[in-house]
Amino acid sequence: MNQQELNNRLSEIKDKLIDDIEQKADNRIFLLCEAENSYAVNKFLFEDVPLRFLIATGIDSDDCFEVLYHYSYDQTGCMVTLKAFIRDREKPTIDSIAPFLPAAEWIERETHDILGIDFNNHPDMRRLILSDDWPEGVYPLRKDAQIPAQRPDGEPSSRPTVQSQSPARRTVELSKPVVVVGPFHPLQEEMEFFQLTVDGEIVTDIDMRISYNHRGIEKISESLQFDQVPFLVSRICGICSASHPLAYVNAVEELAGVTAPDRAQYIRVIINEFERIHSHLLWVGLAGHFIGYDTVFMWAWKYREPVLDLLEEITGNRNNYGNVKVGGCREDIPNELKPKILKELDKLEKKTEMLTKAVLDDPVLHARLKGVGILSKEDAVKYAVTGPTARGSGVDIDVRRDNPYAVYADLDWKVIVQPEGDVFAKAVVRLLEVLESVKMTREAIKKIPDGPITVEVKEIPPGEACGCAEAPRGETFHYVRSDGGNRPIRHKVRAPSYVNVPSFRASCIGQPIPDVTITLAAVDPCYSCTERLAVVDGHSKVLHDYEALLKLSREKTARIKKEIGGPEFKLEDF
Amino acid sequence: MSATAKREPRQTGREFMSWKIWSLKKSVWVFHVNTGACNNCDIEIVNLLTPKFDIERFGMKLVGSPRHADALLVTGGVTAQAAPRLREVYRQTPKPCVVFAIGACGCGTGIFRSGYHIVGPVDKIIREIDPNAIIAYVPGCPPKPEAMISGVVKALSVL
Repeated sequence: MNQQELNNRLSEIKDKLIDDIEQKADNRIFLLCEAENSYAVNKFLFEDVPLRFLIATGIDSDDCFEVLYHYSYDQTGCMVTLKAFIRDREKPTIDSIAPFLPAAEWIERETHDILGIDFNNHPDMRRLILSDDWPEGVYPLRKDAQIPAQRPDGEPSSRPTVQSQSPARRTVELSKPVVVVGPFHPLQEEMEFFQLTVDGEIVTDIDMRISYNHRGIEKISESLQFDQVPFLVSRICGICSASHPLAYVNAVEELAGVTAPDRAQYIRVIINEFERIHSHLLWVGLAGHFIGYDTVFMWAWKYREPVLDLLEEITGNRNNYGNVKVGGCREDIPNELKPKILKELDKLEKKTEMLTKAVLDDPVLHARLKGVGILSKEDAVKYAVTGPTARGSGVDIDVRRDNPYAVYADLDWKVIVQPEGDVFAKAVVRLLEVLESVKMTREAIKKIPDGPITVEVKEIPPGEACGCAEAPRGETFHYVRSDGGNRPIRHKVRAPSYVNVPSFRASCIGQPIPDVTITLAAVDPCYSCTERLAVVDGHSKVLHDYEALLKLSREKTARIKKEIGGPEFKLEDF
Repeated sequence: MSATAKREPRQTGREFMSWKIWSLKKSVWVFHVNTGACNNCDIEIVNLLTPKFDIERFGMKLVGSPRHADALLVTGGVTAQAAPRLREVYRQTPKPCVVFAIGACGCGTGIFRSGYHIVGPVDKIIREIDPNAIIAYVPGCPPKPEAMISGVVKALSVL
C-alpha cells in the first residue's frame, strides 16, 4: 500500500465518521472528528488500515478538550493524527480505545490523571502518574489548574497500591503469594515498584506502580521559550539526551518551515549515533551484571568511556550535550578532531567485535538467555513496542529508515532484525547495531561537508507538528503546538520505554522469578523517560491466560481436598 | 579500636560520636537513592565502579540496603511520590551518616524547579526529619565522576 492508497482508505470514512482531513505537510495528515465517533475511527485506523499506534495527547483548548491519537504508517513514514473534540467542558467524556488496543491503556489513565477526561469502558482506571497524596480533582495540565502550593505529606503515606479495583482481580491478589520488588532495589538504578504474583517459582501476573520519577516536564515545557525547551527535554532522560531534543527540533523545524544546514544534519547524526553506541554498550554491561556476569559489565563499560570522552570533546559534556537547537547545532565538530574520532572508532569496532564474539559464543549465556522472556511478534504489535525490543521480536521498524530525518537516508547502513523475541535476540540486535552505528559514524565523518552549522529562525508560526527520532531504546515522538507566541502551548513527549515497559505483561508471565530481572532489563527500561508524564498497566488479553491458570489451580486444590477427605467447599468460596 | 574501648569504657556521648565519625571515614559504603533524576547522575554513579574510575580501590562500594550504608548518594529533585520513601531510607540508615546531594537537581531541584510534582530539594526533605543531618553537595549536570570522587573526599576530610 502506498501513500495514494492510504489517502483513499482515509477518504472512505470522510463525511461518515470524520468531518475533515487536513494535509499539513507531505507526510502529516490530521483527521478531525467529534468525540462520539472517535472509537469507530480509531478501530478503523488500527485494525482495518492498519496503522501503528504511537500515543494519544490530551489538550485543554479554549472552549473544548481535544484528544489527539497519533498513528504511524511505517511503509511511507506518514503520520496520521486523529483529533477528537470533546465539547462538554464540565464533564469531559470519551470512549476508551483500550479494549481493543492495550497500548493505549497507560496513556488514557495518564490523560485522566492530568486533564480529568473520563474514558468510558476503560478496563482499569487506577491512578497512574500522580503521587498517592495528590488531591482528587486537581488536574495539573488544565490551563486553569490550581496546583496546591503545600501538599500534606509529612509522614510516609500508605504503601502504593498496585492492586486492581476490579473485584475479580482483588480475589486473585489475596489468594496468591506476591513478591514485591522496589521502589528501591539493588539491581535498579531508578525507583519503580513491581508486584509479581507467583505460583511457586512461576510468575503469573505482574503489576507496576510508577510516579516516583514523574517531574511534570510537559507542564514545565509550556513555561519555556522554544529555544529553551531542548535543554529541558535533554534532561527527560540522561541517556537519550541527544534524541529527545532532536525529535523536538524536528517538530519545531517542521512547524517553522526551516531546514538546518547540511553540516548541522551530519553533526546531529554523529552525536546521535555516538549516543546509541554508548547506550547499547551500557545495556550489554548491565545485562551481564543482572545475570551475574560482571566481567561483561566491566568490559562493556570500559569500552564506552572513549565514546563519552569524544562527546565531551565535541559538545563540552559527557552527557546532556545541549548541542541541538532549532535551526542547527550549537557546537561544530572541528576538522582537526576527525582523525582522532576515526582512530577511536577503529579501536572501538575491534573491541565491540571481540565482545560480540565473546557473548555470542559463550555457552553459559546461550543457556541463560535463549528462550527467556519471549515477546512474540503478535504481542509486539499489540503493545506497539519500538526500537530493539520490536526488532528483536521480528518487527521490522526503524524511524531512521522509515521516516528519515537528518541525513540517515544518505548513509549506508542496515536495520538489524532478529525473529526470536527472547532476551538473547535483543542482545544480538543491540550488539550488531553498535557495529552498524560505528560504520555509519565513520561514513558521516568522512562525508561531512563544510559550511555553516546554523540558520536563523525568525519566528514560530501558529500551528502544530510532530517530530520523531530513533533513540537507543526506540522511537521518540514529540508533538508541539504553537499559538504564534514564543512558547509552546502544548508539548507532548512519548518516550520509547512508555510503550516498551507495558510489554512486560506479555514477556514476564510464565517466567520463573530468577528470569524476571533479565526479562525486565531486556527492553532497557528507562523510567525517567517513561514518567516525564505518566504510566502503567495493560492486562486485557493476558489476564485471560492468567484467569485460566488460576482456575486450573483452584480446581486442582478442590480435587485434592476431596481426595483426602477434607470438608466440601465450592469454588466461589475462595 | 577495642583497645580504645578498654581504656575508656564509659565515654561521653560527644566522644562516642567523634569516635563513630572517625570510623565512618574509613571504607565508606554508599547506598544510591534516585528520587526522580534523569538517570544521568545515576549512570555516572554506576560508572564510578567501572575500570576507569574504580572507587572500590578506596574501599568504597555500593551496597544494596541503606542499613549497611555509611553514606547516601541522593540524586534527583525529589518528586512528591519519592519524598516519603527518601525519608524512610534516611531513617533506616545508621547514624551518623553523610548525605550527598548529587547533581544540580539534588542540590536545588535544577531545571525542574517549577514542576508541580517536585517537592525537594534533597536537603529540605532530609532536614524536615533531622535538622542536624550531615549534607554535602556535588553540583553539576551531571557532575563528572571525578567531581563526585573529589566531593566525597572533600566532605570526609572536613568531618
